[in-house]
Amino acid sequence: MAYLTDKSQRESRAFEFWRRRTPLSLLTAGQTGTFIIGLPLMLLLLALWEIAPRAGLLNPIFFPPLSVVLSTLAAMTTSGELSRHVGISLNRAATGFVLAVAVGVPLGLAMGRYALFEKITDLLVQTLRNTSQFALLPVFILLLGIGEASKIAITFYAAVFFLLINTIVGVKSVDPLLLKAARSMGTSDWNLFRKVILPSAVPSIVAGARLGVKASLMSVIAAEMLAAQSGIGFLIQHSSLMLETDRMYAGILVLTAIGLALNYVLVAIDSRAARWRDSPAGGGA
Amino acid sequence: MDRITISDVRKTFQLHSGQSIVVEGKPTDRVPVLAGVDLTIRRGEFVTLVGPSGSGKSVLLDIIGGLTQATSGRTWIDRTLVTQPDAKVGYVFQQYALFPWRNALENVEYALEVRGVPRLERRERARHFLTLFGLKGFEDRYPSQLSGGMQQRVAIARALSTDPEVLLMDEPFAALDAQTRDLLQSELLRIWEQINTTVVFVTHAIDEAIYLADRVVVMTARPGLVKEIVEIDLPRPRDLDLRNSPEFNHYRQQVWEALRDEVTRAQQDWALSASYAN
Repeated sequence: MAYLTDKSQRESRAFEFWRRRTPLSLLTAGQTGTFIIGLPLMLLLLALWEIAPRAGLLNPIFFPPLSVVLSTLAAMTTSGELSRHVGISLNRAATGFVLAVAVGVPLGLAMGRYALFEKITDLLVQTLRNTSQFALLPVFILLLGIGEASKIAITFYAAVFFLLINTIVGVKSVDPLLLKAARSMGTSDWNLFRKVILPSAVPSIVAGARLGVKASLMSVIAAEMLAAQSGIGFLIQHSSLMLETDRMYAGILVLTAIGLALNYVLVAIDSRAARWRDSPAGGGA
Repeated sequence: MDRITISDVRKTFQLHSGQSIVVEGKPTDRVPVLAGVDLTIRRGEFVTLVGPSGSGKSVLLDIIGGLTQATSGRTWIDRTLVTQPDAKVGYVFQQYALFPWRNALENVEYALEVRGVPRLERRERARHFLTLFGLKGFEDRYPSQLSGGMQQRVAIARALSTDPEVLLMDEPFAALDAQTRDLLQSELLRIWEQINTTVVFVTHAIDEAIYLADRVVVMTARPGLVKEIVEIDLPRPRDLDLRNSPEFNHYRQQVWEALRDEVTRAQQDWALSASYAN
């Protein structure tokens, strides 16, 4: 009857009853603990990367050792070449994403508010949403040319539907009781929107923004690999064609680092936007 | 002085197409909920509405609050016809209806905010009303961090912060445990005795109805009508021990007598019209 005496397990969620735990997992409570216990596997992979090409297990032309890649990375950083490519990619992704927010959120609010407007636009939105942004890249290039506009268009297209759909869902999921309560207090239509509907939609909109940011970044890399003269996507693709694999891996590592950093920031924003949810209960009757 | 006048108020709900219900042996898609309610409530009076499920108590409250239009009949507050929510009316719901993204203080402030009360003044008023309900020190807690009883205290503080002339309460303590309910009933009476707001309070609980009220209004089973009004002539301030007194027991008998047949009728009604639940 261990689960009756172990307080921490008894109070956790029902699922925890089924989860197997070892004494070691008690040491890994919290984020730092999770990071530390995950480190050995990560280091093992990095060590393999260093040793395998040197031991002749992998062809160093295709797989230069980690140390070679890192020194190339350092050289590219000091020369300013890397920051130029990173800046260009992030700029494209950010421009497309900001446009997607500027279009998706107001449109979503309008579609959530006016049922007829939603019905009229629904078929078109569903059709466009299910057309891949990558398939449309040639169309964007034909329409907007090979320059910046077509790259921004693909990042915009990748993000806008996440924002649009999640905004509509957010508006529609407003608790009807809160609307009734607000009305009973004499809330005007404008205040109902500003003080009740918008705040209840925020968590859903932020979740849509998280997906949208990632889609924007992924799309800009793909677009740069296919048709560009700059950006990280171009750097990776071009280095690969030139068989400068150390530069290629440096580009991939930078991309991973950007992805991790972005995810960290987005999670922080997400938990801030919904800091009123899932708080531990406190106080008496 | 009369504060609320309800005259021949009727309300009929239209079912969705394809749904129907049997009324007096005939199928129909129109459900009569209120069938001509007449009621006058005096200034500063505490009135409780009791009745079986479906007797239209909450609908009547919504009509007084201007949240629902009656199908026919009229309601006045202070000789003004009710057509929309009125700034003089406060409303408290069973499920608290607090804004989860606002902390306790900001929730109370909301009612003052939409009335355009300046920031400093509303902050001070909100603090005052939270303190009145024993919530000093909990101002920055979010609803998810408060117990049900505390959440309902915040909701009542929010409704009272605007000095309403009428306070409508729709089974406000029904979701709380018995001890918390007792506590909140006494707190509500203590505060009400200081401010003299007119209160209309809907409940299922006979004891609660008698303990709080100047008059208990017993409603019939659907379609709802006023069946009987019981004057509660018990001294104030009241305390919970009153519920053990012979006088209280007498009122308990009287209200239950009025209610018994209606509860039976309501149960038969629901059994007959199972399709309504869909």
